[in-house]
Amino acid sequence: MRFVELLVAAVLLAGLYAMMAYGLGLIYGVLRIVNLAHGGMIMAGAYLGLALHDRLGMDPLLSLPLIAVVSWSFGWLLYRFVVRHLPRGATGGAQSLLLLFGVWLVMRNAVYLIFTGNDQAIRTAWSTHAWKLAGVSLPVNRVIVFGLAMLALGGLHFLLTRTYVGKAIRAVAQNPDSCTRAGIDVEKVYALTFGLGSALAGVAGLLGATIFSFNPSFGSVELLKSFVVVVMGGLGSVAGTASAALVLALVEVFAILVLPSYLTGAVGFVLLVLVLVLRPGGLFGQKVLG
Amino acid sequence: MKLGIALSAAALVALALLPFALSPYTHNLMTLSFLFVATALAWNWLGGYAGQISFGHAAMFGTGGFVAARILLAGALPPPLAWIAGGLVAGAYALIWGHPTLRLRGPYFSIATIGVGEATRLVFTYWDKFTGGSSGLSLPMVPGAKRTLYWEALAFLALIAVASWAIRRSRLGLALFAIRGDVEAAADVGISATFYQDLVLFLSGAATGIAGGIYASYFSFIEPNDMLGFDRSISFVLMAVIGGVGTILGPVLGAVVFVLLRQFLIGSYPQLYLGLYGALLIAVILFEPLGLMGLGHRLVRRAAR
Repeated sequence: MRFVELLVAAVLLAGLYAMMAYGLGLIYGVLRIVNLAHGGMIMAGAYLGLALHDRLGMDPLLSLPLIAVVSWSFGWLLYRFVVRHLPRGATGGAQSLLLLFGVWLVMRNAVYLIFTGNDQAIRTAWSTHAWKLAGVSLPVNRVIVFGLAMLALGGLHFLLTRTYVGKAIRAVAQNPDSCTRAGIDVEKVYALTFGLGSALAGVAGLLGATIFSFNPSFGSVELLKSFVVVVMGGLGSVAGTASAALVLALVEVFAILVLPSYLTGAVGFVLLVLVLVLRPGGLFGQKVLG
Repeated sequence: MKLGIALSAAALVALALLPFALSPYTHNLMTLSFLFVATALAWNWLGGYAGQISFGHAAMFGTGGFVAARILLAGALPPPLAWIAGGLVAGAYALIWGHPTLRLRGPYFSIATIGVGEATRLVFTYWDKFTGGSSGLSLPMVPGAKRTLYWEALAFLALIAVASWAIRRSRLGLALFAIRGDVEAAADVGISATFYQDLVLFLSGAATGIAGGIYASYFSFIEPNDMLGFDRSISFVLMAVIGGVGTILGPVLGAVVFVLLRQFLIGSYPQLYLGLYGALLIAVILFEPLGLMGLGHRLVRRAAR
């Protein structure tokens, strides 16, 4: 029974991981930029949800669309005014890495000033309930988070594969130069993609905040986990991301059985290094979006 | 060139004589600056010369610090040898994780180092038999030791500065610049990226570890979250980036600016300093990617015109 319970817990957790990772992978796949501010966006989503819940009494489910729009706009602005001016590719990699890291530090500090560094949590009417299914308990909040994450990923998959915008994004990921020739506004696609990735991070942060307690450094562990998933799962493939997220969640959840509890936190980091080392060629996967 | 050597020697003599005229506060700040200038230079061997940005150098700083502290507590070796032993262990540890991860380039290596740094911090925090856990380790205070440590830190800095210069001019330095430019082209002319990167990571890690050991002696108290925290790793990156990555004078200036700025911010705006680091990082990358050195060159060029 314990085994089944852990299995269910892992699957539910994997949904959230997949969502966090997909935003990071999308931005990397299209812009070739590792968005270190991703962790900051996750944290910002959590705190925005907290503010809307505590000050305006908005249920996280209601504030979700709002947070998606706000995070999207933030990502869009960040791209238009800052990231756009950075060099890309091998030599520019370090610069965008450092700059976005700076953005993350500023975000953390801003949140710290507004909300202090104390641990916070979003508690709703449904956060402590659990359903029983064949003797296995299913915490309602985790099920909802899993469902929403799957919905978001499904929607994104639809957007990328079935719509004109999605086609443009995939085309830019493959070859920005020929896109310009074909009349696609590449800069617009970049800004849009940066917005999409940020929106995913913000919403993932909000969803995470309904499960875990958080403080201004929320998002750093999540960022590293997202890397693990992106590196394992390859770029832009929803199925690949989902299965990699499942592997990570399984390893983490079952590590509780064999490792002392204080070391389970290190499992994600060790896995990150292992994955990076063992898959040196196809690091973020050779697969192009789609 | 000769002028540079003469100036450096003069600065060294001046700094060595300075403690006789310093208040304890400034004395403390100077010693700290020496240690961090040395660490920033060592970080720069890997981050600047080889172009591999490490966000995990605190792992070696902490390893060196705790190994040295344990040796000193056991009374097994005199301080300088304990620091060197700590440095060697830190260098060896760097090789263990670095050899496999240095095959990665650019952001992938950086990301791996975040993982290494954080995993090391967690292990050190919970390995309380060795590190004292989150309550840390206290070293016995030796009267007058702080005064001697000023000169020891200065000597260490001088050594690292000379090494920075020597590496830059040596075969190792040339190989690293070639690797930074283009790994494959470097391999085509017979430069083994694995060998040279491993070597420089070992050197950089060992130097960082020695700095950690001296730091431990100086403060007589060390604690994993301070020694190995992510903030510590970031601070090494910032010092080099503020000053100018890849140069020698850059990290020196950057580290001095960093230590003074940190002192000022912690005193006046303790709740703002992380964000100000971030803002500084953004400003440097956006407006002057070569840091203070780039700014200096620009000003000199403008003045010449």
